[in-house]
Amino acid sequence: MWFYFLKRIVLAVAIIMIAVTLLFFMIHAVPGDPAAILLGPRATPEMKAQLYEQMGLDKPLVVQIAIFFGGLLQGDLGYDVFSQRPVADIVFEQLPYTIELILVSISWAVAVAVPLGCYSAMRRNSVVNQVAGVLTIATIAIPSFVMAVYALLIFAVILRWLPAIGAGDGFWEGSIHLILPAFAIGIGWVGYISRLVRASMLEILGENHIRMARSFGISEWHIVAHYALPLAILPTVTILGVGIASLLSSAVFIEVVFARPGIGALIVDAVNTRNYPIVMGTVLVTSFLVVVATTLSDLVAAALDPRTRENL
Amino acid sequence: MNNFANGVSRRSFLRTGAALSGSIVAAGMPLSQVIWAAEGKVLKARARRDIAKLDPGFYQGGPDVDVMNCIYSKLTHYKPGSEWGWELEAAEKIEQIDPTHIRFQLKKGIKFSGGHGELTARDVKFSFERVIKHKSPDKGDWGPLDRVELEDDYTGVIVLKAPYVPLWNLALPYGVGHIVSEDAVMKATKDGGDFGMKPPAFSGPYVIADWKAKQYLLLTRNPDWSGPKPGFDEIRILPIADLKTAERGYQAGDIDFTSISLDSLATFKNSTPADTKIEEHPSLSFTWIGMNMDHPELKDINVRKAIQWAINVPQILEVAYSGQAVVATGIIAPEVVGHRDKALVSPEGDLAKAKDLLEKAGVTDLTLTLDCTNASTDTTIAQTVQAQLSQIGIKVEINAQDSGSFSTVGKESEGERWKDLQLIINSYSSLPDPYYATASFVQDQVGVWNWERFRSERFDELHAKGLMVEDHEARAKLYYEMQDLMEDSGAYRFLTHGGNPVMYRTTQTQAATRPDGVPLFVEFSPA
Repeated sequence: MWFYFLKRIVLAVAIIMIAVTLLFFMIHAVPGDPAAILLGPRATPEMKAQLYEQMGLDKPLVVQIAIFFGGLLQGDLGYDVFSQRPVADIVFEQLPYTIELILVSISWAVAVAVPLGCYSAMRRNSVVNQVAGVLTIATIAIPSFVMAVYALLIFAVILRWLPAIGAGDGFWEGSIHLILPAFAIGIGWVGYISRLVRASMLEILGENHIRMARSFGISEWHIVAHYALPLAILPTVTILGVGIASLLSSAVFIEVVFARPGIGALIVDAVNTRNYPIVMGTVLVTSFLVVVATTLSDLVAAALDPRTRENL
Repeated sequence: MNNFANGVSRRSFLRTGAALSGSIVAAGMPLSQVIWAAEGKVLKARARRDIAKLDPGFYQGGPDVDVMNCIYSKLTHYKPGSEWGWELEAAEKIEQIDPTHIRFQLKKGIKFSGGHGELTARDVKFSFERVIKHKSPDKGDWGPLDRVELEDDYTGVIVLKAPYVPLWNLALPYGVGHIVSEDAVMKATKDGGDFGMKPPAFSGPYVIADWKAKQYLLLTRNPDWSGPKPGFDEIRILPIADLKTAERGYQAGDIDFTSISLDSLATFKNSTPADTKIEEHPSLSFTWIGMNMDHPELKDINVRKAIQWAINVPQILEVAYSGQAVVATGIIAPEVVGHRDKALVSPEGDLAKAKDLLEKAGVTDLTLTLDCTNASTDTTIAQTVQAQLSQIGIKVEINAQDSGSFSTVGKESEGERWKDLQLIINSYSSLPDPYYATASFVQDQVGVWNWERFRSERFDELHAKGLMVEDHEARAKLYYEMQDLMEDSGAYRFLTHGGNPVMYRTTQTQAATRPDGVPLFVEFSPA
């Protein structure tokens, strides 16, 4: 187990370093000049040179990336080109909004999709299963930002039940502001997860040990909850770990549509303005999130299935 | 459904939710903020982006200045209304003694917060000179500022190295004109340089009570403020980059003042939300199609003029701006000194004339590239131009790119791309002085911001003269001629100044804006 953790940590560091380095060279490969954006039309060459020096952009790219990783070891991600605030401050004040959005979205999606998937597998020829099948495919097919726009129009603009923009202050207000964005992101996952659980469940329910349990007269719901589900849920757990990257992408659109703070909107803005330190800091954090999520999903899978545990 | 929806307001919906969540609320959740926050004199307004800097000497753009207007004093400020002008703010009086000297006398009793004392001429001197001393990116706003001489605690003289008329429109009533406390800034920064996002003292009618990045900025009344009481107890400014999102936020009741997009304007005018007033304002920005005069394909003025005459501007505006933008006559916006009544080339152009010019140039089978940003308005303009130029036999290949990449396409310092540049759809923002608009097209700016590589000795001469002429009419004539020169070069086809329509809830506020629709929050009054 300890070896597994060590292996994952080394792998995580390597993944983050590769991701950040690749991105660093990619953003420098495309044209763009943060100094031009920051200083505007009346900047003199001296002012531009001064800013380049201040940002470290006058140094070779290899030196710049080395400085970045050197700073990282000391907890320094550099400074925002525009506000001169520490990148770490900016990224970490935005990060909680994205994390809470992703967690709430995926939590409600799992809470609805898993029982739905189990029910559809148990009543595979019922009307409910047919209807759920159509609806779940439909939710997968509709992009989250389309769902976001219509949810916003219906519940915020027409009915005026829920706020349209922002993230709110405090727990209660924050929760209210989360409903529409989390709905928009989570709805597609309801369809996806329920189809996945249904398919796995159908396979598991046909296995010998389940037939054995039935022959003992154990109730169907008990069999599903205690014997089948822990195995049927494994692909879902793995998908959720990998799905964090896809959730982050959805968050970008949702944060724009609902004018929510978060690192999705932050990274889009930073890329457009060639705000290199913010781009680097944000990608570092998102890479870390992806690595943590995949590690967690592996651990959960191991906890659920002894066969997986042996492979750690 | 409608009855049900009408009967169940957000407030009652939330109250029901609150009742159901009573135990959670009892644990100390700030429910009151959700349900009753909008009561009282609170203004909720949209900003196009979050604040990036609160040091007036180093401001980064309009949204920063909109907030600075509320938290600092300055000698003069822009008058709200439909005509550009300024009026006194911290200055009791201000006068031009001669072309390079401006004397001001401050009002007494304006206090800095935090016990930093009264606003004096020393603070004015410190605030203005630090912009030059610390080589701020905004030092251009002060032009040839040399120093501020003190006569007594409340009187001083701004001394310029050379005459600089734009100072009245660009510097004094705008960003760099805000006055900070020397005492507070020196304590906060040691060298008097950029204090970034943390104002060490306030001197305006409001103070910053709270700021959550990318979420909101909360301004509350400054208890030390001795001037006229502003209308609202609180101003909550929400950064919403996307105009459509802001429009939905307004419709949902989350904000009371916002700009609206030109393509939504007709819809909002036809179906105006309840208790809403829509105001249309011309923007100061200008959009044009430029031609790289140094490119071999465009070296011949007849080719450039053919393109000018082949472009039908109203048609473009109909498609790209839903017909809601007016035709530009040059680079200087309506209501600003130097705005021309009409362009040399008629807005609709003339296809026959364009074909003649192309024939005169002896050009056939011409293919040109058109660079633009990937914003939908620009790509729509590009497609329309592509169709229009095809009518005279010119093929256009559109090269749409993200704004970061586009911002360097004509810059010599950023590689060789400028050499291949042919046609460009460009748009620059501006300020209410013609100098700001023409500054980008002098010869010094070739390969910097002057991507058409337009060179004219006469233009440069007029530009320099424009800094010195005080008389409005005489000054306007200089700028008419400069725009004529630009257009005569064939390198420019002026499209539009766009527009900045705004809407606000009349049950909440009576808005006050500059002529270009930019809000002057201090002047807003409650309904």
